[in-house]
Amino acid sequence: MSAEFEHCIRCTLCVENCPVFKVNPAYPGPKQAGPDSERFRLSGEGSVDEWIKLCTQCKRCEVACPYGVNPAETILKAQLKYSDEHGKAPVNLLFANNHYLGILGSLFAPIANLTTKLWITKKFFNLTGIATYLSFPKFYFRSLSKGRGTKNKGGQPKVVFFHGCFLNNNQPALGRAMIELLTGLGIEVVIPRQICCGLPALGNGDKATARRMAKKNTRILTGYIDKGYDVIYACTSCGLTLMHDYPGILEIPGADKLAENVYNIHEYILKLIEDGQIAPEFQPVKRHIAYHVPCHLRAAGQGYPAANLLRRIPELKLTVLDDNCCGLSGSYGFKLKNAPTAIKLGQAAAKAITDSGAEAFISDCGACRMQLGHFSKLPALDPSEILLEALGKAR
Amino acid sequence: MSTVSYDAVIVGGGLAGLTAALRLARSGRKVAVIAKGDPACCLSTGCIDILSGPSGALAALETLPAEHPYRLAGSAKLAEALNFFMETMSSAGLTYHGTATANRKIMTPIGTAKTTGLVPESMRAAWPVAGEPINLVSFTRLKDFFPSYIQARHSNVNLNVFDAGVTSTLAIATRLEEDAFRGHFIDWLASLKLPDGNLYLPAVLGLEEHATVLGEIKATVKREVCEIPTLPPSLPGQRLFRRLKRTLQEQGVDFYWGKEIASIERQKGGAIEAVTLKKSGRSARVEGRAFILASGAFVSGGLYAEQSGNVIETVFNLPAHAPHDRETWFKPGFFERGHGIEAAGVRVDEAFKPLETDYPNLWACGSVLAFSEITKHQCGHGLAIVTGYAAAKSCEEFLA
Repeated sequence: MSAEFEHCIRCTLCVENCPVFKVNPAYPGPKQAGPDSERFRLSGEGSVDEWIKLCTQCKRCEVACPYGVNPAETILKAQLKYSDEHGKAPVNLLFANNHYLGILGSLFAPIANLTTKLWITKKFFNLTGIATYLSFPKFYFRSLSKGRGTKNKGGQPKVVFFHGCFLNNNQPALGRAMIELLTGLGIEVVIPRQICCGLPALGNGDKATARRMAKKNTRILTGYIDKGYDVIYACTSCGLTLMHDYPGILEIPGADKLAENVYNIHEYILKLIEDGQIAPEFQPVKRHIAYHVPCHLRAAGQGYPAANLLRRIPELKLTVLDDNCCGLSGSYGFKLKNAPTAIKLGQAAAKAITDSGAEAFISDCGACRMQLGHFSKLPALDPSEILLEALGKAR
Repeated sequence: MSTVSYDAVIVGGGLAGLTAALRLARSGRKVAVIAKGDPACCLSTGCIDILSGPSGALAALETLPAEHPYRLAGSAKLAEALNFFMETMSSAGLTYHGTATANRKIMTPIGTAKTTGLVPESMRAAWPVAGEPINLVSFTRLKDFFPSYIQARHSNVNLNVFDAGVTSTLAIATRLEEDAFRGHFIDWLASLKLPDGNLYLPAVLGLEEHATVLGEIKATVKREVCEIPTLPPSLPGQRLFRRLKRTLQEQGVDFYWGKEIASIERQKGGAIEAVTLKKSGRSARVEGRAFILASGAFVSGGLYAEQSGNVIETVFNLPAHAPHDRETWFKPGFFERGHGIEAAGVRVDEAFKPLETDYPNLWACGSVLAFSEITKHQCGHGLAIVTGYAAAKSCEEFLA
């Protein structure tokens, strides 16, 4: 039994950093939801506090906590316990299986895209507890997984690309651009068979599904690691799940090896530059870009590698914004009950972007891009797209 | 393992570390800040206590023992550092008032006066001149703020209470940043037809939009609007931290936040080459030509006292000074000034280089320093700014 929560000195730094606490009075904040309530949970009593589900798992509390308390993880365990005891709503079952929705969506892309736009579908969604303030992401028939295989064979170093669901089904063109960025730097890229990282399942109270997915990914990816490949991820939430939750809460055998060898795409490019393995020549990019730093990038504790890279591009003005959570948090904001919270947080984060005067914003998380693109009405890009532009390969 | 290299790596993200980082970044250095969590300044009143004393900080400087970090820095550097801070905050949109030559008073939530050096705009006039009425506005069910304390200590309090629908300082501040809600609150304020005297409120006047919230309220009530610092969540503390952090990010400083340092690597000559961060999965390695230690004292974890009475500096394992006899560490009363243990910490020379060590590229600043005795002298934030600035200056000479 881990007792990190006993290290809490009640300083309230976690509460000061909690986006939900700021805008939703029904949520008592990470201090009460985490360490304070944990003592009662340990007594084996049943879960009674439904507000536990209001935590978005942004992990800002864990980044802020100087005492290693890990409130978000304590809360996640309490969320899973609550779900086990109280059952799951249809909306949770649906989002936990996001992976299969994605497959269906891209298989029937034109129909799916049309259907999600219909008034009657939106009405139906609302009835099942799904929020529709944000348009459903568009599906593409030509998903990334349909282009599995090795690109730039023989290139060095060799990486295997964990693209995750969003890039696969909803932004495959961006995924292909990222692959082009890597191969353009001389890297061999393998798109392997893969399944959802499992975070949507974990976030919707379904640990068993999350474990099943995690085991499968671990088996596939460590197979490549054994053959000398590094693992690269593009979405910061998938990445944190691979590195943190697989060996942590999901207790997947072999996950430590995976966690040791998995890199954020920008962290990897930065590492190759710093190690002197590559020396890309960045052309000037005369733009002002705001960088909305995803909560799960902060939580990974690797700094902001994309910001470090982009600062090497001549004439690029970069405004780093890391104080706001976009509020969508994967499927969180898509739930009708959470929508008011998600909208308030989205508006505040978007205001920070527009106040900066930037002409576009970047974020290395698909959900952040979707949410803040909606609220800021500005082009929502991945840092990779700016790198490609600086390398003369603008999309 | 992935490595990123910098000119200077600052260990600690509090006011001392951030000041040092900014000073170095301003002279074009590539700087990284490593912190295991948010600093205590987020929980603070946002005021800068320089040094208590009836005639101001500068005059009190002479009365400090010769080994106090302020004496090592000297009065010229103290003034320079405070100017640096004031200029930085003005351009960051959070103007501070005050000088090192006079201390001032602000209202506390229990109605007493707190002595401090520099205050944000919203506390510029936060202590009533004798006999002046106090127009106090509080919020229904606001946690940890009880106007009756202030009423008990001041006879001329005109109290009005507003129901914001939420009960924490952070939530009220967030609501006040919404145009419609703020308009509603301001209309209510205008309807009160307040008698003469400044308006006092708990510190809830916005976070990011603080200037707008404060400005609009001032324009309506046409008098000084004074914030009273609260228990955390502390908006004035958060404003200070966020503005400073953002200024650093504009200067291109990289932050490694939320992870502890797992190990340090040294070169043959003793110089520190890199530190490794504990993180999920693989470790991150941060390389630097110079390092500045700004890890704080006991509460922040920069210092650790063992059962045996030994005090340890936790990051670089520097020799740490502590009063020998454990019996002398604490005075009988908690609120008594000058507990012996307050003098514990890392001893440094006038360049803020740790003594009795062989690290050629390490400096130290902030409350990790020995003989700071912060609560005794009331010099917390001031000490952080002045020593952070001074350590960065020495480090800059080394890098040049």
